[in-house]
Amino acid sequence: MNTNSNIYTVIYTAVVVVIVAAVLAFVSQKLGPMQAANEKAETVSQILTAAQFGDKESWAEKGNAATLDFYRENVEKAVTVNAKGEETGVLDIQKVAIYSVSQLKTQNYNIKDGKDFELPVYIFKNGTKVIPVYGAGLWGPVWGYIALEPDNRSIVGAYFDHEGETPGLGGKIKDDPSFRAQFVGKQIDYSDAKPFSIIKGGAKGKANAVDAITGATMTSKGLDAAIVEWLGAYEHALFLEELFKMAGEGETLNNEEE
Amino acid sequence: MANSNLKETILNPIFKGNPITVLVLGICSSLAVTVELKGALVMALSVTIVTGLSSLVCSLLRKTIPNRVRIIVQLVVVALMVILVDQVLKAFEATYAIDKSLSVYIGLIITNCIVMGRIEAFALGNKPVPSLLDGLANGAGYGMILIIVAFFRELLGSGTIFGFSVVPDAAYAAGYMNNGLVILPPFALILLGLIIWIHRSIDKDLQEK
Repeated sequence: MNTNSNIYTVIYTAVVVVIVAAVLAFVSQKLGPMQAANEKAETVSQILTAAQFGDKESWAEKGNAATLDFYRENVEKAVTVNAKGEETGVLDIQKVAIYSVSQLKTQNYNIKDGKDFELPVYIFKNGTKVIPVYGAGLWGPVWGYIALEPDNRSIVGAYFDHEGETPGLGGKIKDDPSFRAQFVGKQIDYSDAKPFSIIKGGAKGKANAVDAITGATMTSKGLDAAIVEWLGAYEHALFLEELFKMAGEGETLNNEEE
Repeated sequence: MANSNLKETILNPIFKGNPITVLVLGICSSLAVTVELKGALVMALSVTIVTGLSSLVCSLLRKTIPNRVRIIVQLVVVALMVILVDQVLKAFEATYAIDKSLSVYIGLIITNCIVMGRIEAFALGNKPVPSLLDGLANGAGYGMILIIVAFFRELLGSGTIFGFSVVPDAAYAAGYMNNGLVILPPFALILLGLIIWIHRSIDKDLQEK
């Protein structure tokens, strides 16, 4: 048989590609649920890390089950809120119902297109609230979690992740603990043009800004835009009285104001 | 004859024809993923499996592959193996975190010259079993260097082996410090240079006249 004829070549490549596609589809189907379980535990551990309950590595060591159990025991309430800041739904804590990264992506489109959106807020028993952010980095999406104190303004901590930023440069948003450490103790300031920013140099002394990463301008800008966009989407929710009260700290705050 | 050939096929890539220290292939990932032994081990196993299976499959197909598109067919086979390895690593709890920390480097196995190099140079002209062994041996030769480099980098850079602390607290108290330079890729290159130097001074055949 002439393996160099055109017809043979075309048929051969087509068959190879179809077989490979079938194998990949089959494997993806079989392993899908296991991967989803790992991704869920990963997301939970990122939320916990942002809220300063242990660090990412320690959760990886403790395993998926321990991570989910800690979430069940320590989360007071998980809700979804809309643009007006109204509560639109409750996420089941026992089932560890959380927004996956792909759900964040969907909501990100809704925010950008000016459509209705529903965003999650995870409220811990100690009053810490965790909200996600999502946007475009240089090579792919970047996302993360910002944990806020009961006053809804002070940042307890943050954790960021990405799909394909360059290791050692943009990858530092995830890999460099000193980058996320900068967020601790900062403030969100809605009276500013940008409630929070990641800026080149110059963040020193500003309560609502952190320094960008050297050599990763595009990733830093992308993350900055993601944070600004999502904080904008959460603006009404973060002013809402009910959320203050749910955390059990609202009373004291109001008293102080009086 | 056949026996000694087979032995040669297995041992050559590990020592005399080592893909990293002699052929200087696969350098990128050997600098990138050797900060910790755990990651290096997973990477070594992944590359070994990918080179072995890709060589096997390409060798089985060698008489049917149209010559004009052979590189593309090889590429499809290698890509399939890489994705399979990545999917399996993502599915198990024990390897998920390592897969995450290796990030793009698992996917980049496809660009590792060792894989395509062995298919092109060996698998297309040899029977399946020797091709499988050749692929596995080349992966092992690559992995061995990776693990040696990672051993020193983790020991000197983090004071741990496979995540367990081996440097006693007393040493830290006495002023010993982990070396930050060791964590960075340039040190991996220095270490690799040292390994090549040692390898060449032991094996005189490798020295150019």
